[in-house]
Amino acid sequence: MPKRLTVVPERCSGCRLCEAACALAHFGTNNPKKAAIRVVTLYPHPVIRMPVVCRQCAQPKCRENCPTDAIVTENGTVKILAERCVQCQQCVISCPFGAIFVHDEVSAPFKCDLCGGNPQCVAACPKGALQYVPEHQLGQASRLATVLRYAHMKEVEYVEKGERKKLRYAEIGSEQARK
Amino acid sequence: MSKRASSLPEEKAGRSPGKAAEKEIERLAGGYHHRILWVDLSRGTAEAVPFSAAFALKYIGGRGFGAKLLFDQLSKIKDPLGPENMLIIAPGPLTGLYLPGGAKTSLVALSPQTGIYGDSNMGGSFGAELRLAGYDALVITGRAEELSYLWIDGGEVKVVPAPQLAGKGALETEGLVKEEIRSEEVRVAAIGPAGENQVVFATINCDWSRNAGRSGMGAVLGSKNIKAIAVRGGEDLPVADVAGLRLLTERSLQQLSSHPLFEFWQQQGLMSVVDYVNSAGVFPTRNYRELVFEQASEIDGFKMEKEYKIGDSACFACPMACGNICLVKNGKYRGTVTEGPEYETACMLGSNLGIGNFAAILKGNQLCDDLGIDTISSGNLIGVMIEAVESGLLSPEEVDGMDLKWGDDDHVIALLGKIARREGVGDLLAQGSRAVMERWPQLRPLMVQVKGMEQSAYDGRATISMALAYGTCDIGAHHNRAWTVGKELEAGAGWTAEDRVNLVIYHQTIRPLFDMLGVCRLPWIELGFDEHRYAEYYSIVTGVPHTLDELLARSRAVWDLTRLISASRGVARKDDYPPPRMMERPVEKGPFAGKVVDRGEYDALLDLYYEKRGWSAEGLPPAERAGDFSDPLT
Repeated sequence: MPKRLTVVPERCSGCRLCEAACALAHFGTNNPKKAAIRVVTLYPHPVIRMPVVCRQCAQPKCRENCPTDAIVTENGTVKILAERCVQCQQCVISCPFGAIFVHDEVSAPFKCDLCGGNPQCVAACPKGALQYVPEHQLGQASRLATVLRYAHMKEVEYVEKGERKKLRYAEIGSEQARK
Repeated sequence: MSKRASSLPEEKAGRSPGKAAEKEIERLAGGYHHRILWVDLSRGTAEAVPFSAAFALKYIGGRGFGAKLLFDQLSKIKDPLGPENMLIIAPGPLTGLYLPGGAKTSLVALSPQTGIYGDSNMGGSFGAELRLAGYDALVITGRAEELSYLWIDGGEVKVVPAPQLAGKGALETEGLVKEEIRSEEVRVAAIGPAGENQVVFATINCDWSRNAGRSGMGAVLGSKNIKAIAVRGGEDLPVADVAGLRLLTERSLQQLSSHPLFEFWQQQGLMSVVDYVNSAGVFPTRNYRELVFEQASEIDGFKMEKEYKIGDSACFACPMACGNICLVKNGKYRGTVTEGPEYETACMLGSNLGIGNFAAILKGNQLCDDLGIDTISSGNLIGVMIEAVESGLLSPEEVDGMDLKWGDDDHVIALLGKIARREGVGDLLAQGSRAVMERWPQLRPLMVQVKGMEQSAYDGRATISMALAYGTCDIGAHHNRAWTVGKELEAGAGWTAEDRVNLVIYHQTIRPLFDMLGVCRLPWIELGFDEHRYAEYYSIVTGVPHTLDELLARSRAVWDLTRLISASRGVARKDDYPPPRMMERPVEKGPFAGKVVDRGEYDALLDLYYEKRGWSAEGLPPAERAGDFSDPLT
């Protein structure tokens, strides 16, 4: 079953343990600037903390635009072959997500390789904002929301006295009630 | 990445800061770049100053480096707000590393608030980035010709004139500097209008809401005409045993996340303290007159979670995420977004002012961050003003016609702005407790401060060890050096004077050690993280085996050093007493009603405290102690 690395930005606290763990796993160094994941923080309008990381596209723009065929897909993972790379940075510019990174001490652009199936960023994330899940699970949450919306229902997760709870409630008439 | 050239300012470009750093010095296998960036704004120079392994091991980093560098230049400094004062921004050897809470940076200067040794620390990502830029510390001296920001892009150092930032809020400034540099990925520390106006408790705010809140470090930066510091870097942080670090951190993260209170901590952070402290009857209320707040449940962590919290926020590499991002959804403060409050703010802008409206506290928190003033000192001083007007010691006319009352958030919000802009009575408050007492001596019994620093949100009457902690804290009445309230409440019934003094000294030794290492103390305090782990980390990172006791001995020495600095400005026993409110005015409400700090008992504690520190009965370290700190950087 193919798995995907996916991001839940609303859970991210912006701590960047993922960056630190990634750089250690790939380059054996304490340097978040050598990580293939980067947390971008916006504040206060709006408040967003979002880890940006490769989505392993099936039709990757980086691979399409590489002039030397240095980017290949192996078992669903998009990889940069440093020995073929001419460092034109075309892949960095092409990636629609900005998920390919460069550092002047690293010979070629680098990106997420899923750590061979055991992503270290996911292991390090203390908030569950990074998940490595079977592909078919993607979209599950949105599907549920769609179904609930059909019945004018909403589901909210909240915490009461330290306990995580879920509440489903009807939205019918709520617009008027608010006025 | 070997380029290490400087341009500061561009037209005065000259010295390459790299050259000095290349000088042969003995280096440790890890932990340090062995490089301090020394910026002299008046001369327009930026130099990378090297330091030896011996220096690194002796002072460790953070406030240890700060105290030593300040001590060396002390005779040249007359006015804390003069160009000769230095602002030392020092992360520690563990800052920026893959370990829990490695995000702390100390800011050290001669404090404009107290006139003595001052420091404060902040989390966020700023310190980590400064280390990634290749520096173990940043020293700023002199004064820029016009309002500017300092831009440290690895080896490139520039002073960029920025008159357009005058009067801007700290948060707004961070955004504007990032816009000008065209990157959301640089780290910015900035001051608000209060720092520019040299309010003596002005803060430095970094990474949107992490403040160096105490000792008036924002005023020092403002006095140098520096509105903000932007930093970016990408150098590897040297670590002797990288594999060992990874293994140890995997274990640490596992231990922290399996702690039964871990999730609760992420949900509430320091806001969980409100409920605890109020239930224990030690929650400062209405200028410390009472220690129980009847509306505590309106301003505690549960209230926050249920109605205001929209997300967590963490410092660099910390799993605990104690920051709470809150949004006010309705009412007159609708739309207010702020990171916080944490406990101190909830108390000082809440119960201490009789305010039971959480939205008002959030608004106050957001304003203090943006204006760049300390929530503790602000809340403390406003509390004094309200009590003074209410009890008739001041007429409303004397406070700009404001008929101040407990719980009146409109006036509190107005006063915060007046302080930062130094308008009306705000101009006096901006000069701190001492100026207020000088102008209105009748307010002396109301003032809750030590050494000119307003006391934070714990009381000393219920637990006398806390009174000693405040009295002897090296920067003034601040709680972070020793927090003994919980221990004494739980176990203090049969304690002797010696037990109390030992606990205070132990705290004053281990807690500053965290500030030297550049890590946060909260994993240790809140989730029972083993303090010996930090000695393990320091050993792995530097390659030199250390025990916790060895590190504690160095922290203890730095405590002597900060005392020497302050003693040179006249600090002695007379300055180590709690304020009159603690010694003369009994607690009005709660389980500790009627209690005061007994003078005789306090004197006995103080005698013992000095004895254990090896100081004279006047509270002074032996004169020859100064010689122990005269070693050179290399």
